[in-house]
Formats: sequence, structure tokens, C-alpha cells
Amino acid sequence: MSNFFSSFLLIGTGLALTLKLLFGCFIIGLSLGTLLAILKFCKICVHVIDLFVSFLRGTPLLLQLSLIYFSVPGIFGVQLSVLSAGIIAFGINSSAYIAEILRAGIESIPNGQFEAAISLGIPKNRMWRDIIMPQVVKNILPALINEIVDLLKETALIATIGGMDIMRYSQIVGAAQFNYFAPLCIAAIYYYVLVSLITWISRLIERRTSYVKA
Amino acid sequence: MLKLKEVSKVFGEVVVLDHVSLSVAKSGILGLAGASGSGKSTLLRCVQGFEKPDSGEIECNGRVCFIFQDFQLFPHMNVLQNLVYAPDLKADGSARQKNEEKALALLKSLGLGDKANSFPALLSGGQKQRAALARSLMIDPDIILCDEPTSGLDVMSIADVISLLREVRSRGVTMVIASHDLGFLTEISEKVILLKNGRIVVEIDPKQHDDPSKLLTQYY
Ligand SMILES: Nc1ncnc2c1ncn2[C@@H]1O[C@H](COP(=O)(O)OP(=O)(O)O)[C@@H](O)[C@H]1O
Ligand SMILES: [Mg+2]
Repeated sequence: MSNFFSSFLLIGTGLALTLKLLFGCFIIGLSLGTLLAILKFCKICVHVIDLFVSFLRGTPLLLQLSLIYFSVPGIFGVQLSVLSAGIIAFGINSSAYIAEILRAGIESIPNGQFEAAISLGIPKNRMWRDIIMPQVVKNILPALINEIVDLLKETALIATIGGMDIMRYSQIVGAAQFNYFAPLCIAAIYYYVLVSLITWISRLIERRTSYVKA
Repeated sequence: MLKLKEVSKVFGEVVVLDHVSLSVAKSGILGLAGASGSGKSTLLRCVQGFEKPDSGEIECNGRVCFIFQDFQLFPHMNVLQNLVYAPDLKADGSARQKNEEKALALLKSLGLGDKANSFPALLSGGQKQRAALARSLMIDPDIILCDEPTSGLDVMSIADVISLLREVRSRGVTMVIASHDLGFLTEISEKVILLKNGRIVVEIDPKQHDDPSKLLTQYY
């Protein structure tokens, strides 16, 4: 039992990298995704972005991660740390999905909301900030939370380039004990609890932003 | 106040407005009658500038505000916020205070005094209608364009809408009201225009006739 407990703590040290990755790549994904969604309103950019997005969705994430970690040094002459390579690869990849989510969210707002704002003489920038975006954010929250959960699970790929995350620690502990079952179960518990936590927080937010509440 | 000269609008192959000319005097109510698809909404949308006519001229003195068939209240704001948001953009501290007082007085006069803090999702159809009207009155419009104000309302609420619109007219606001409800239109309007396939087929003063609805039906 104390063996299990020490394994539990050891694998837990991987939590730091997993969370740093998750946080970092979500920030990148959200910013780049927003930029892509905005640029898609520009007629000339649409085709370039569509090509970029179809590449990100049409090739394995593991390949994208390897591309950035192993070939960027050769091309640009800078060696990326495992953490930054992961943040960049996962961030760029998720930006494709977040851009789609945002665009669908904006398209889900009825035309009448834009027209009502115009009819009331509300300037464009305030219309986006105060009328449209709050509704978009509320609508896309479930999809966005879904994306965060996907991201969390995808960070486990960092183990393939030597990142010491929860996944990698569980493999190391497994190898040392000649038994993978318990360590992998421990890793599963960590991921599962994190996912549950994210879902729980999202439900809290959803309840707090409900329109019906007086 | 509002004048249309030979306004035409084509969507693809369909001629939706066909050389429409009309004029509305200040503080008058013009009724736009016509079957569904006759071009009423398109005409209102052209006046507001949501659609650009393909030809013709629209002359319009003053501020125009549109009231949508489905109201388009902002769902994430409560009723009071819906009312004060637009006027507050051009106001500072004390003027905002005045806006709020004005909004609350308006809501009270429209029978929505207890709904200031409610979100639109919790209002009935008639209450949303009144909230939308109050919201447009907050920006002191000279002309209100009202699309199908009685759709989805019961007879009692329609009677309310009639007295409400009369009260708005008494404030000096000019109105153009599109509706397929002839009884309602002839009751409220000084002039009723009947549209058919984008063309004006007849124009009547309801007070000059015993049964204006029946008269209009003949042209439908
Ligand atoms: N944005 C649009 N694109 C194409 N056709 C349209 C559009 N808006 C309206 N129409 C067409 O114009 C005609 C008149 O519509 P509308 O003005 O809404 O009529 P009404 O309000 O009298 O029912 C209809 O045949 C409708 O299909
Ligand atoms: Mg219509």
C-alpha cells in the first residue's frame, strides 16, 4: 500500500508539466483561433486559412509535434525545449478547432441581433463587444470546454518526445516495478479527476451565465 | 416626414418591390397591408437601410428605429439594461441616471414596472413587444417601423397594442406598421396601403369607409 502511495506521489510530479502544457496551449489556441476566425471574414485570407486548417485536422497530432520538436532546430537553428515545442504544437493544432467553434458560434447569432444593434445606433465595436460576443461565448462554452478536455488528453503525447508528464512518469514507474498496471491506473485517475474538475467548473459557469436567472 | 419615390428591390429573379411611392406625414400612422410575401418587411427594411433599393429614392427626416417581428431583445441583458444600453453609450454619470429614470418611468407606463430586472426569456409575447417598443422609444426616434406587431398575440393583447401605438403617436412619433391583420391596421392607421407582389394596389383612408377591412379584402 505504501508502495502504491509513493507511486501515486511520484507520478503526481508529472502534473506540473501536464498543467503547464494545458494552460499554455489553450492560451495559444484561443488567441490564434480568434485571429483565424476574424481573418476568415477577409475574402483573400479564407483560402490560405482553409488550407492551413485542413492540414492541422488532416494529419496526426503526433506528426505535428515531431515536426516542430525535431525539424525546427534544423531549419531555424533554435533548439526548442520539450515544453515550448508541446505548447506550440498543441496550441497551433487546437487553434484550428477553436477557430471553427468561434465561427460557428458567431454564425449562430441571429442576423436580427446585429440589425437591432444597428437600428439603435450602437457603433460596430461596441456591438461586437457588448451585444454579440457575450452571446457567442455563452453559446460556445460547452464546445470550448470539450476542446480543453481533448487538449488535456492530447498532452499525453508529450511523453513521446521525452516530456516528464503524468503519462511519462507512469511509464517510468511501471518499468522500474516490472508492472505497468498500477502506475497506469494511477495516471488514469489523475486524468479522470482533472477532466471531472474541468467539467464541474464549466457547469458552474454555465449556471452563472444562464439568461433565465432573474 | 418620410417619402418613397419609385422604390424597387429585386432579390435574384423576384421583383419584391415594384416602383413603390408613398409618403407619411409627421405623427401619422401608415398601415402596410398585404398577404405574406407581398413585400411589406422588405419595404420597412429598405427604409431602415438594412436593404439597399435597386432604384428609386427614400427621403427620410429624422431618426428611424425598427421594431422586429420577433423583437430581438438582447437575451443576455435584463429589460432595464436593454433599454438603457444604447442611450448610455452617449451619456456620462448624471445623464445615465436620467436615462435610468426615463427607462423606469417608460416601463411603468407600459405596465412593465415589475419586469425591469427580468431577462427577456421570462417575458410573454406581449411583454416582449412592449419592452421592444420601450427600447426604441429610449433613443427618441422620429420614425418607428413596426413589423407585424400583432403576430402571435391574443385578442386582448392586440387591443393593448392598439392603445399603446396610439399613445406613441401622441408623443409625435411617426409610424409605419406592416401587418397582414386588416382589422388591426384599419383601426390604427390614418392611411392603409395594400401591397400585392411588391406593387401598391390600393390606398385608403379607413375613416372614409364603413367596412375598410372588407373593402381591402376585395383587392387581396
Ligand atoms: N434576403 C432575401 N433574399 C431573397 N429573397 C428575399 C429576401 N428577403 C425577402 N425575400 C423575398 O421577398 C418576398 C417578400 O418578402 P417580405 O418582404 O418578407 O414579405 P412580407 O413581409 O410581406 O411577408 C418574398 O417572396 C421573400 O421570399
Ligand atoms: Mg414580413
